[in-house]
Amino acid sequence: MDNKTILIVEDQDDLRLLIRLSLKSLGRIVLASSAAQGLEMVRAEKPDLVTLDVWLGKGDSGLDVCRAIKSDPETRHVKVVLLSACGQQSDVEAGMAAGADHYIVKPFSPQSLGEAAATLLGA
Amino acid sequence: MPASPLPPPLPPDEAQRLQVLLDLNILDTASEERFDRITRMAARLFGVPVAFVSLIDADRQWFKSRVGTTLAETHRAHSFCAHTILQDGVMVVEDATCDKRFADSPIVTDLGVRFYAGYPLSAPDGSRIGTVCILDMSPRILDDEQRDLLRDLAGMVANEIAAAELRRAHDRRSENDAWLHGLLEHIPDGVLMLDRAGSVICGNPAAEHMFGSDTGGLAGRTGASLLGEDAVLLLEPEHSPDAPPQEGGGLRLDGSTFPIEVKVAPMCLVGQQRYAVIVRDVTQQHEIAERNRATEERRHKHFTTATHELRTPMASILGFSELLLKRDFDPSTSRELVDIIHRQASRLVELINQLLDLARIEAGGTDALNIGNVNVAELVDQTLSGLNGLGQNHRIRTELEDGMPRIAADQPKMQQALTNIVSNAIKYSSEGSLIDISAAALHRNAKLMVAIRVADRGIGMTPEQQARIFDAFYRAGESQNVQGSGLGMTIFKEIIELHGGHVDIESRPGAGTAVTVWLPALPDHG
Repeated sequence: MDNKTILIVEDQDDLRLLIRLSLKSLGRIVLASSAAQGLEMVRAEKPDLVTLDVWLGKGDSGLDVCRAIKSDPETRHVKVVLLSACGQQSDVEAGMAAGADHYIVKPFSPQSLGEAAATLLGA
Repeated sequence: MPASPLPPPLPPDEAQRLQVLLDLNILDTASEERFDRITRMAARLFGVPVAFVSLIDADRQWFKSRVGTTLAETHRAHSFCAHTILQDGVMVVEDATCDKRFADSPIVTDLGVRFYAGYPLSAPDGSRIGTVCILDMSPRILDDEQRDLLRDLAGMVANEIAAAELRRAHDRRSENDAWLHGLLEHIPDGVLMLDRAGSVICGNPAAEHMFGSDTGGLAGRTGASLLGEDAVLLLEPEHSPDAPPQEGGGLRLDGSTFPIEVKVAPMCLVGQQRYAVIVRDVTQQHEIAERNRATEERRHKHFTTATHELRTPMASILGFSELLLKRDFDPSTSRELVDIIHRQASRLVELINQLLDLARIEAGGTDALNIGNVNVAELVDQTLSGLNGLGQNHRIRTELEDGMPRIAADQPKMQQALTNIVSNAIKYSSEGSLIDISAAALHRNAKLMVAIRVADRGIGMTPEQQARIFDAFYRAGESQNVQGSGLGMTIFKEIIELHGGHVDIESRPGAGTAVTVWLPALPDHG
């Protein structure tokens, strides 16, 4: 699985590190801290999987990034895991409706995140 | 001394008869020409010295009109007329000295009356309330024609009494009408009368005001043009007047609309089908409901945001501690991760404390304030001492007016409020830049206030950011480099408003932000 590329889009430094440590055994990790940077890197790096924070700050939404990835024929195959502190059923439904492959509520277990990502990458 | 005559017997309907007499409101009233002319006519027609219109009260006869005597009343026991009302038709006493009912009456023995003829006087309901009578000092007889004449005179008096009663009834009705009219004039709800076809016949002033009409300006308009098409359905026969009021949109004459509640009751007026319509302007109720809804929405959003903000540091704490428990890291990485856990746990505690502060301030209101006389210069000094730990106080320049009035404030809370804005000024400006704190007594809206101003030369805010600055958890720029809960300004504003103060914000991106707090000054200087 070393040939896989994983993009982490997260505006909080600490959480970016946490996700990186959780997923680093699964492949090459690239990082973005904003929606715009995230989209840019999806196109440039062609990752196999993206973890997307839902509240990216400055009013940017990870759901928009997810929709952009899934509506572009070039990138729609990219697996998307949404990570959010919003854990209500309606939040999860909105995430899945935006095209996400998986939705994880913060706080989360690094091991569970790693397992979910591994499953998506292996599939 | 003559023996007292037997008192005349009481008629069987005495109580009813007395009530009718009382209700006529005629006893003890002034003489009236309409009765006097009949009495004069009787005296002349019969050629007698004395004639009366006599009313029989409980124990007296009272003369509404009289000719040939100055007596206003006599005792009922001596009264000829008290006997007349016991019978139908004319009562004649040709010679009282020969009639044992009257022979010993002082009217006969003392006043010398010998002849009496009277005819009962009937009220509109038939009760015999008195008589029309003639008296003479010598015996007489009365032929049939004269008896008829006396009857007719009594009829004329009865007509006058009935006419007075009619007038009074009319006056009473006018008084009722005045009440109803006054009610309709002043009732705050709009009242309209519609005809069978749904057109307005008339409206009260509240309705005219509501629809923006001049007096009488609603007449002839269709109900639908004022109340909307839906309200006209209320005129359908199957609509129950007991149904709850129907909400709808009212249309003013100028075309503007407003929310209304309408109730309709069908009625029949002088044989015509009519509708009484009550219209209520519910703009205020709608505004209150909208405010409540907005408050509820803000609370919900606040709760959702608070949950989100608490979960974020928890994600670091749980995530990194799990990694440390399950994996082996080199000592420096381990230390870095523990450091993050510690920092995020501190942030979590700070958030919880601030949320509790805010909840306490919001729930407690002014009751929770411990108000004292606070010296503003000391307040600023204490605030700066508290911020010493940040090591940034060398950037702060103060300019405090001498002899400022004191303010009525909860000292620790006010210090917390000032701490929040000064620490924001420190956080959102670069290390080398100056921060000015000034305070002075100034008039605002003709009231003496103390203005405390904190101005930085930092990143400033756009108008959009300024508009959101007091929202809970909002952080200008959401900058990663600035630590904070996003609750500081919310708490600050709550505290200032609880103290009856105001906040002004001036800010420009790149130029800096100035926050001015206006607090009411206490009248006694010192």
